[in-house]
Amino acid sequence: MNDSSTPALQAEALSMHFSSPQGTIRLLASLELSIAAGESVAILGTSGSGKSTLLGLLAGLDLPTSGRVSLAGYDMTAMGEDERAQLRAGRVGFVFQAFHLLPGLTALENVMLPGELAGSDGVRAAATQALERVGLGARAGHYPAQLSGGEQQRAAMARAIVSQPSVLFADEPTGNLDHATGGYVIDQLFEMNRIDGMTLVLVTHDPTLAARCQRVLQLEDGVLVASAP
Amino acid sequence: MRLALTMLWRDWRGGELRLLAWSVVIAVAAVTSVAWLAERVAGATEARAADLLAADRAVETTEPLPEAWVKRAREHGLETGRTAVFPSVVINGERTQLVSVKAVTPGYPLRGKLRTRARPSGDERVTTEVPEIGRVWVAARLLTVLDLAVGDTIELGDSALKIARVISVEPDRGGFVDNIAPRVMMNQADLAATGLIGEGSRVRYKLLLAGEQERLVAFTQQLRSEQGNRVEIETPTGDRPGVSEVVSKARRFLGLAALLTVVVAGVAVLLTVRHYAERQTTGVAVMRALGATRRRLTQLFIGKLLWLGVIAGMLGSVLGFALHLVMLWFVADLLGDALPAPGLTPLATGWLTAIAALLGFALPTLIRLRDVPPMRVLRRSLGQGLFRGLTPVLVAAGVVLALMAWQARDWWLTLIVFAAVAATLVVLAAVAAGVVAGLRWLTRASGKRLLWFTGLTRRPWTAVIQIVAVGIGLMSLFLLGVVRGDLLETWRDRIPDDAPNQFLVNIQPDQLDGVRSLLADDGIDAEFRPMARARLTGLNGEAISADDYRDSEARDLLTREFNLSWAEAPRTGNEVVTGNWWSGDDPAPQISLEEGFAERLGFEVGDTLTFAVAGREITAEVTNLRSVQWDSFKVNFFVLVSPGTLDDMPMTYLTSFYLPPERDALIAELVEDYPSVTPVDVAAILRTVRTIMDQGVRVVELMSLLTLVAGMLVLMAALQITGERRRFETALLRALGATGKRVRRLLRYELLLIGALAGLMSATIATIAGVFAADLLFDLHYPWRPWILLAGTVTGMATVWSAGTWAARAYYRVSPMTLLRQGHD
Ligand SMILES: Nc1ncnc2c1ncn2[C@@H]1O[C@H](COP(=O)(O)OP(=O)(O)O)[C@@H](O)[C@H]1O
Ligand SMILES: [Mg+2]
Repeated sequence: MNDSSTPALQAEALSMHFSSPQGTIRLLASLELSIAAGESVAILGTSGSGKSTLLGLLAGLDLPTSGRVSLAGYDMTAMGEDERAQLRAGRVGFVFQAFHLLPGLTALENVMLPGELAGSDGVRAAATQALERVGLGARAGHYPAQLSGGEQQRAAMARAIVSQPSVLFADEPTGNLDHATGGYVIDQLFEMNRIDGMTLVLVTHDPTLAARCQRVLQLEDGVLVASAP
Repeated sequence: MRLALTMLWRDWRGGELRLLAWSVVIAVAAVTSVAWLAERVAGATEARAADLLAADRAVETTEPLPEAWVKRAREHGLETGRTAVFPSVVINGERTQLVSVKAVTPGYPLRGKLRTRARPSGDERVTTEVPEIGRVWVAARLLTVLDLAVGDTIELGDSALKIARVISVEPDRGGFVDNIAPRVMMNQADLAATGLIGEGSRVRYKLLLAGEQERLVAFTQQLRSEQGNRVEIETPTGDRPGVSEVVSKARRFLGLAALLTVVVAGVAVLLTVRHYAERQTTGVAVMRALGATRRRLTQLFIGKLLWLGVIAGMLGSVLGFALHLVMLWFVADLLGDALPAPGLTPLATGWLTAIAALLGFALPTLIRLRDVPPMRVLRRSLGQGLFRGLTPVLVAAGVVLALMAWQARDWWLTLIVFAAVAATLVVLAAVAAGVVAGLRWLTRASGKRLLWFTGLTRRPWTAVIQIVAVGIGLMSLFLLGVVRGDLLETWRDRIPDDAPNQFLVNIQPDQLDGVRSLLADDGIDAEFRPMARARLTGLNGEAISADDYRDSEARDLLTREFNLSWAEAPRTGNEVVTGNWWSGDDPAPQISLEEGFAERLGFEVGDTLTFAVAGREITAEVTNLRSVQWDSFKVNFFVLVSPGTLDDMPMTYLTSFYLPPERDALIAELVEDYPSVTPVDVAAILRTVRTIMDQGVRVVELMSLLTLVAGMLVLMAALQITGERRRFETALLRALGATGKRVRRLLRYELLLIGALAGLMSATIATIAGVFAADLLFDLHYPWRPWILLAGTVTGMATVWSAGTWAARAYYRVSPMTLLRQGHD
């Protein structure tokens, strides 16, 4: 089902409401989005506009109030939590703003985690390779606390790409890092997008970063509007 | 399962779960040590039911066994053997020792094995013979006490007998009786010549029988119908109370004591696992985002816990095994050397405890991790209140209850103990919470910040939990170590220095004047009391027997003979509490019962009792109940009858008096002149009983020490929970320029305060328990001494401070820079 005609990601009439003490917050309102396989898309928006929420819905981490999200043609909104998890396994990679490396695990073990959870073979070799790819081979045995911010980001990158996902979600991937430190990893991301055809969905408030994507969308008042690249 | 083990190892490496693992280890050690101890002690005493009787069945009487019975038993096709057991005294120089003489016929024992040695240190061998004519075999202890050796000759009544062998294991004898009256075994053919057997002497004759079940039953039933209550038929299943019952009671008590450790360790598990789970939340969210299903996660958590249970169970069992060896060593004297090899069942018990503790205490919390919303990877605030709620505590309480029932094997007892433990916890917690609230109020009211209280008042619940956990451990230590000692002291203080310490029993009427003047020569003015051996046979005209009672002590009173005396007026230390004492001019036979005796058997004033005395029956009405001050050590009786009731009955006399230690020789002289008189050294018996008690108490003390260790683990767990905050505070304070010293001082104040509160509270509660026990149970006045509270406070401070400083040592090693960079979760 993964031929070029099927979008890698598709959102139809996506709405997300939260009830708060001040009344209902309508974060996403009938949002439409289609991302083709191999595309790189940036989602820009002010803080609190709902970028992370949208990313979570696209990745199937949460269910929308209404509407549909399909990943590689599978309608995730019709699935249970565990089915979505299984769908994500090996297909989806993440780079989070806070990196979320597990503090008790070495860099290598952090990168091995997705493979171990999936019960795959050759986990260690793949993880070592991924670490080398992000230039962190020498620090495989270090714990997150022993790594600098930039190195932590690279380890998080390695964990995201180790299972060679077809879609990679990145939520503010440069986090609080300065441009020079974050730049290397970003270069890697775009290289993988170009060479391996990995779909890239990038949430950021940084217009320069967004500009490197093939398509830039702006999240405003719950809907996406195309923005000049 | 492999992945679970890998992840467990990573957690361990990262310092997670260490306290959890240690808590399980301590809990398992407590339970397995008791299991092993109980198994081996029971094995040494209880398992040999038939051996304990040395026969398949036995007929016991207080009269010599008629030769005809032996013949008849043989005609029934039964093997027979005979024993006669009675107390006597062996003298060496000026030293005397009460012994239990057993005269046996060839063939003894019919069941079980008699083991002897040629010398006390020689090789043990199973003996099929019995002592030859003119020889005795003795317990090793007799040699030690009287400084005798194999080959020496001892005098027993009128006979001189040579010590030929040392008895190491006798089937029908529990190990610890030997401490009071060591065994002297002789050939029954030598018995008459000793002159120790006579009218009124306290001999218990037994006809041992072995053979087919139907023949045994046929013979004994025939004998029973002929002889009625005059014979007692003993069977190996033994409804006899005794060693096995003591062992099983001790086992249950220790088992429950071990559970106290499990409960406290369980609190540590609850605390650490919650902390652990909270720290895992983000990691789990990441795993879920990466595609781990809830089922997969559940498997992982259970797998981790099972592995942890297996490993901690193993370690705990090893520790428990070591502990049980120490306990065995404490009570070695009580056991003799017939210990069976340790079995494997306690190992299973240990694992079961470990798994139960982990699944009961840890799983309910851990399992909630699978509900961490994966969205948490994008929004930190999600999945926050996941571990609130009472379910884990309720499940834990249920598990504790189940474990208790398993140890106690008695629902009532379980519920009572559970309620008692819960009540103690609640009281401790309430007091601790009150104190912490008070301190809080104080810091607020005083306006300025009382810096050394802030640690407590900022984390009131953690403080309360810490105080209670350490307090429980300290309290059981104080109760056993201090309060028990105090009670014994008080009790001993109440006994006057010249309280009787010697009894003479079995004085024949014709010896009375001689013994009296011998004592008078030494300035001892002793009162002599008449007595007869009696057996209770009827109540209100109906036959009464042991089968009518369930209580083992009541059964014992009905199967054994007891002493009956008469008196004109109540003696000092006796007080009529119900009914009226008889007056001189009422000729009707009447009975006065000691109130405890009456209560045990359910007798009341107005009941008519029938006793068999020397083959004759006496029936009389109970007209009053007495309270007796037993610890006066004067001669006293459960049952007294009015004057004249015992006329013409065969009587012996007994007396008690104070014998100054330097005049010990008098006893030797007395026994020399009157071999059938049996002296009983009460002081020596009390010393022995005290030693036995002390040995038992040391085992329990070891248990409380484990509880205290578990309490320390709770303390550390609480420190670990607050550790994150503490680290951050420390870093902040240090970044703001506070010296490391100053920061450490704050923690020290907090620890000392917790320790002081825990110590003071537990010492107070232990003292109050002492006061109540003294008043209600022993009728004593407990000495209230403030220093105990002080000592308790100091002990609490010392233990908490040292454990706490050790647990928190890591926070201060790190530089403020690292601390700030890591931030706090
Ligand atoms: N589960 C939720 N419950 C209530 N409000 C939520 C929830 N998730 C997101 N929000 C609200 O939605 C808004 C957008 O959040 P988010 O998607 O994180 O924005 P962004 O990533 O663009 O900064 C915020 O104001 C947040 O408070
Ligand atoms: Mg965001």
